[in-house]
Amino acid sequence: MKFGKRLKQQVQDTLPEWRDKFLSYKELKKLLRLLSTAPTSLLNGSSIDYGKAEAEFMYLLNNEIDKFNGFFMEQEEDFIIRHKEVQQRIKRVVELWGPNGSQPSEADYKDEMEKIRKAIVDFHGEMVLLVNYSNINYTGLAKILKKYDKRTGGLLRLPFIQKVLEQPFFTTDLISKLVKECETIIDAVFPAEEEAERAKEAKEAIVVAGEGIFRNTVTALLTMQEMRKGSSTQSAFSLPPLNLPDSDLIQSIQLNAAVPIV
Amino acid sequence: MEARPAFSIERSSSNQLNNIGMSGALPSSLSVHPTPLEETYPRFSDSQPAFVEKGLKTRTFNHSSHISSSGAVGHMFSSSPGYSTDLHHSSLSPHEKHSRNAHFISQSMSNMASVPLPYSSNNGPLPSTTSTHYSNGSSASWHADSLPSFLDFSVNASIDNSQVESSACNIMATEEFPKRNDWQEWADQLISDDDTLTSNWNDLLADNIQDLEPKAADPISKSSSQFSAGHQSQGHQQLPALSGENNVGVAPSSSANSAPAKPRMRWTPELHEAFVEAVTQLGGSERATPKGVLKLMKVEGLTIYHVKSHLQKYRTARYRPESSEGAAEKKLSPIEDISSLDLKTGIEITEALRLQMEVQKRLHEQLEIQRNLQLRIEEQGRYLQMMFEKQCKSGVEPFKASSSAIGDPSGVSSDTMKDSLAKNESEASKTDHCRSGPDQANGSTTLEESSLQDTSKVQASDDLKQNDNEDSAQPPKRPRTDE
Repeated sequence: MKFGKRLKQQVQDTLPEWRDKFLSYKELKKLLRLLSTAPTSLLNGSSIDYGKAEAEFMYLLNNEIDKFNGFFMEQEEDFIIRHKEVQQRIKRVVELWGPNGSQPSEADYKDEMEKIRKAIVDFHGEMVLLVNYSNINYTGLAKILKKYDKRTGGLLRLPFIQKVLEQPFFTTDLISKLVKECETIIDAVFPAEEEAERAKEAKEAIVVAGEGIFRNTVTALLTMQEMRKGSSTQSAFSLPPLNLPDSDLIQSIQLNAAVPIV
Repeated sequence: MEARPAFSIERSSSNQLNNIGMSGALPSSLSVHPTPLEETYPRFSDSQPAFVEKGLKTRTFNHSSHISSSGAVGHMFSSSPGYSTDLHHSSLSPHEKHSRNAHFISQSMSNMASVPLPYSSNNGPLPSTTSTHYSNGSSASWHADSLPSFLDFSVNASIDNSQVESSACNIMATEEFPKRNDWQEWADQLISDDDTLTSNWNDLLADNIQDLEPKAADPISKSSSQFSAGHQSQGHQQLPALSGENNVGVAPSSSANSAPAKPRMRWTPELHEAFVEAVTQLGGSERATPKGVLKLMKVEGLTIYHVKSHLQKYRTARYRPESSEGAAEKKLSPIEDISSLDLKTGIEITEALRLQMEVQKRLHEQLEIQRNLQLRIEEQGRYLQMMFEKQCKSGVEPFKASSSAIGDPSGVSSDTMKDSLAKNESEASKTDHCRSGPDQANGSTTLEESSLQDTSKVQASDDLKQNDNEDSAQPPKRPRTDE
């Protein structure tokens, strides 16, 4: 149940509106269990049950995919709009404090810059979380399909997953592009690095509380690391262990559990 | 009569849809109206092994990839309407042609009422037009590829299928009838009623008649959604399909409302640019109307609903930064530094943000890497399947004498493979390839090793190779279930 646990953890830490948009992994597993216990015998009753359970399973699978697609495309649309807005906002600030603009006070400038920085970082974070959302759901789907084939001896997995690969929720290229553009903007908006040295020493024990983008991001990273650590079913087709360059940085961030993570 | 209250429900829901705009309505429509969900079922149920025998469903989820469309055009995902909507296709087509002719409609209603079953069963050939209209090569080819294996699976489950389908067809027949009747009545009332509503309705029909007409119902999709009838009613507070007319009344209406709104729009930055331009031309987000924007943008396939919802999102986004973004962000608790509980200086805030940024960047990097790996894994799986099929085809002749059932090269059952294994050890490499089936992307055993060595095309990383050591010793008896 390792994936199930990890997924649960993610869902708990995720942004509130996203909670019900993740894969219903547990439910799919339950249906699978039904499938494997309802034998494909020639008896009238059980074959109907099997067909029924199978149909339910497929129905749920399809529903989940639609759910992902709907949610993903909606978020994507929002991000596209916000992306433009962020750019506009910065442009306005630059103009306002530029040579031709009305140059309001220094304090206002600082204030506005702070707000913009926070907005951009959060925006970046949300987009990354959406990519994470897509990925986790894909992983879950791949796992459940693998289990399905294993339990029923079917050949559902390969073609189905090929289809999934083409789904909107999995084709995250646009979002990744926006993320990268965001990173460039951020570099422009953040001040120089000298003060960063001072702050680095203070990073030893940073406690992250509450439900927020940052918290969710850290959870996502740690979850990914855990999921790829290796399992009983590891094979040439499994993902290799996660290679985080500065994993000490991540480890040093303790998550102050707002909700007990089981 | 039920029609009256049902009609009012429909009106409110249609108004709701219009007012909310499609943006909010997309997820809400998914939750409020069960029919999109069940409608989408047949889309994915193309892969359903159990039902493939009855009809080649060419309706697949139609995702035009970025490649196939120009930058300025958004991507339309028209989902093939499933069960309930399909019921209305029959009603909609005559409806469309004689939109104000109540007489005809009641006529067609009686026609349809008398022949529910034949109607449904005749819809098999029609879906093909849908696929040509919307799908790419990719969806079509997927379907072709998947067929063999599903056909094979369906052989195993054939008995289940026939039983399932016969019962389903019975249920289906009884169910369609009341639905169609009510639908016709409301369509009637809609026409005779409010003008704006009618014009909306006609708009919807005009927009989507080309979507809806070819997408006729499949008996299979209907029957499969039968099983989920119970599901839907629980899950989505919509009324169970098999219950009384009141309930049935609402379902078609909601599907009627949601069907036109269904094609999902995938926005792109370029499209959004065009949108913003149009809006500015029209005097800003407050002044611009969806119709005006739609006209200015001149983008094919864009409907007023897409524009409406997008405009709404746009307005919210513009309003938010001015007023509440600060407040909204404070809700998401910021990072706390050890030095103090509240963030003191700007530097600390900035550094906290920087850290957040770093972590986010890291996550994104890893996600990209992971995604690429996953893609490669699936690619390898596909490649192996191809190779497997080729091997089986070429290896069939020597095997023919010994094993009886390898007629279908792509759909190989494990029994057949065991036979061929036992009898033809000499054909080592071919046997190796054939015995571990195509679906070894599940990750078992010897096939990977041999293929990893053989297929130089696949640039599997060293990490991947190391990990299968423990699996190689496993017996080949049930290759598909090895993990």
